[in-house]
Amino acid sequence: MKISSDLIVPQFHSATLRRTILDMAYAGSTVHIGCAFSIVELLAVLYRKYLKYPNNDPNSEARDYLVLSKGHGVMAQYACMKEIGWLGLEDINSYFKDGTVLKGLSDSRVDGLEVTSGSLGHGFSVGVGIAMGAKLCGSEQKTFVIVGDGELNEGAIWEGAMFAAQQELNNFMVIVDENGLQAMGKTSDIINLGSIQKKFESFGFDVVTIDGHNEILIDIAISEFQKTTSMAPKAIIAKTVKGKGVSFMENDNRWHYSRLTKADYDAACGELEGQCL
Amino acid sequence: MRATFSSVLTQLAVSDPKVLLLTGDHGYALFDEFRKACPSQYINAGIAEQNMVGMAAGLAKLGFKPFVYGLSAFVPVRVVEQIKIDIAHDGLPVTLIGDGAGFVYSHLGTSHQSTEDIACTRSVPNLVVMSPADRFELEACMMLAYRSGCSTYLRMGKADLGDVHSESISEEAVKSPISITKSKISVEEGNRNNRDSSVVIFASGSMVKTAIILANERYPDARVYSLAILKPLDEESVRSLCLGSKAIIVMEEHSIIGGISSAILEACSAIGCPPLLRIGVTDRFSQFCGSYDYLLQEHGLSTDLVGKKIDNFLDEVGRL
Repeated sequence: MKISSDLIVPQFHSATLRRTILDMAYAGSTVHIGCAFSIVELLAVLYRKYLKYPNNDPNSEARDYLVLSKGHGVMAQYACMKEIGWLGLEDINSYFKDGTVLKGLSDSRVDGLEVTSGSLGHGFSVGVGIAMGAKLCGSEQKTFVIVGDGELNEGAIWEGAMFAAQQELNNFMVIVDENGLQAMGKTSDIINLGSIQKKFESFGFDVVTIDGHNEILIDIAISEFQKTTSMAPKAIIAKTVKGKGVSFMENDNRWHYSRLTKADYDAACGELEGQCL
Repeated sequence: MRATFSSVLTQLAVSDPKVLLLTGDHGYALFDEFRKACPSQYINAGIAEQNMVGMAAGLAKLGFKPFVYGLSAFVPVRVVEQIKIDIAHDGLPVTLIGDGAGFVYSHLGTSHQSTEDIACTRSVPNLVVMSPADRFELEACMMLAYRSGCSTYLRMGKADLGDVHSESISEEAVKSPISITKSKISVEEGNRNNRDSSVVIFASGSMVKTAIILANERYPDARVYSLAILKPLDEESVRSLCLGSKAIIVMEEHSIIGGISSAILEACSAIGCPPLLRIGVTDRFSQFCGSYDYLLQEHGLSTDLVGKKIDNFLDEVGRL
């Protein structure tokens, strides 16, 4: 019996998503695994419940927008796109092969990815423009932007934050992946941001800080923000762990750069198997 | 020219609600007409150009057609990366207006002077680069940018030099080197010191006026062409004009590195090129404070100094 793919409801199980990330990283012998692992639960909740794609079309004009400003986490988004069916197993297994389209950072020419990011601080402003455009059109479309805490070093982020508050873009929601690490070390050692919550509050945002790996709390935070009548743009500060899900990768910044050996891959897959796929 | 800019933009916005004007807190009084006619389509993004350009990309993704206004030193130079990644990469219908290009803000110094903008933008794929010389070219360029839906950088330099054409120019004509009609060049007999019609002068923006003045006074038989669209350059026409000439002069209020003369030489690189004199800014910042005319002189771009360079050049070519 042939089962229509329309009937398969994607589950976005975090262990499954992480396994896809590992498969891609191993197939492509590529990096940024830790950056992808820290946003898995955030993307899972967004794709499972909040992002609306009419007719399952990633290019639908009426879609919500997920802007991955921290393009380094793109493998987590690829993993979700595979769950939906926008990517196939062959895309995963051929990652980084010559002539393929999925890159190591978000690229807007891939259906389902909204921006070309990786040069940090860009996606936030593009998201502000999308949110403003939706307001001007009288549309209910939502804009979610995911930024890294290291990315907050970029001044453009704060230009966008000021403007979003000025324009009362309450349809704009930024989610900060606060994993405490950036390329060269701890964010607190490089540019100490202090309380990110207070920073966004002082820029005129409604802000909540949560455990960014607890899907129930993520769901509640988004849901509560969508119920409020406040006109302020929204910020969720998601406390996360870089490399979350595999013990030897957690909080170890080598997994920003390291490539998987066969032994690493097997060990990591083994850990995920214990997390009820 | 700026009045034309304001009125054309206002007309576009009135007829198409998807046209937006974003300004980085610049354009005092320039946009009074626009703000009165289309207040909801006017967005002052504040002194935050990076966000303004990224935001324009987001608005364009939702179907809007933003015109992003700034001083040329800031838009595009300060935000080249946003233009590259957020706009041109996706070919979004955003028109970037860089006002005051060249030495317009002469007294304010290097931060407000802009002689690198063409070089910066020409190398960005998918980006059209325009440099109109008068209100007729400006209107054609603006309409072309709007109708084409292409990502575009439109450079506006010294805007009060008067017209170089006597009538409107079509959007099609502006894509190629625009011949300055003989009727516009009032030849004064007896004032000619060069009768060689095989000299071609290419100029753009403010320097078209200088080219016309010099052609009037010294080189009445030279053929003068304005280049309003620098990218995509009509290379075939440029090559044809170059091959049919004995000497070429290129004039621009921009660095000679990466500007119009570079584009012409690139176009001719495979076939060779007659002797070509590059008149522009020679890899240096302004040193002194002064008027626009004073700074042109400092950089060797005043009419007199350009004339001397051309005389010397043509003498050398004549001796070849």
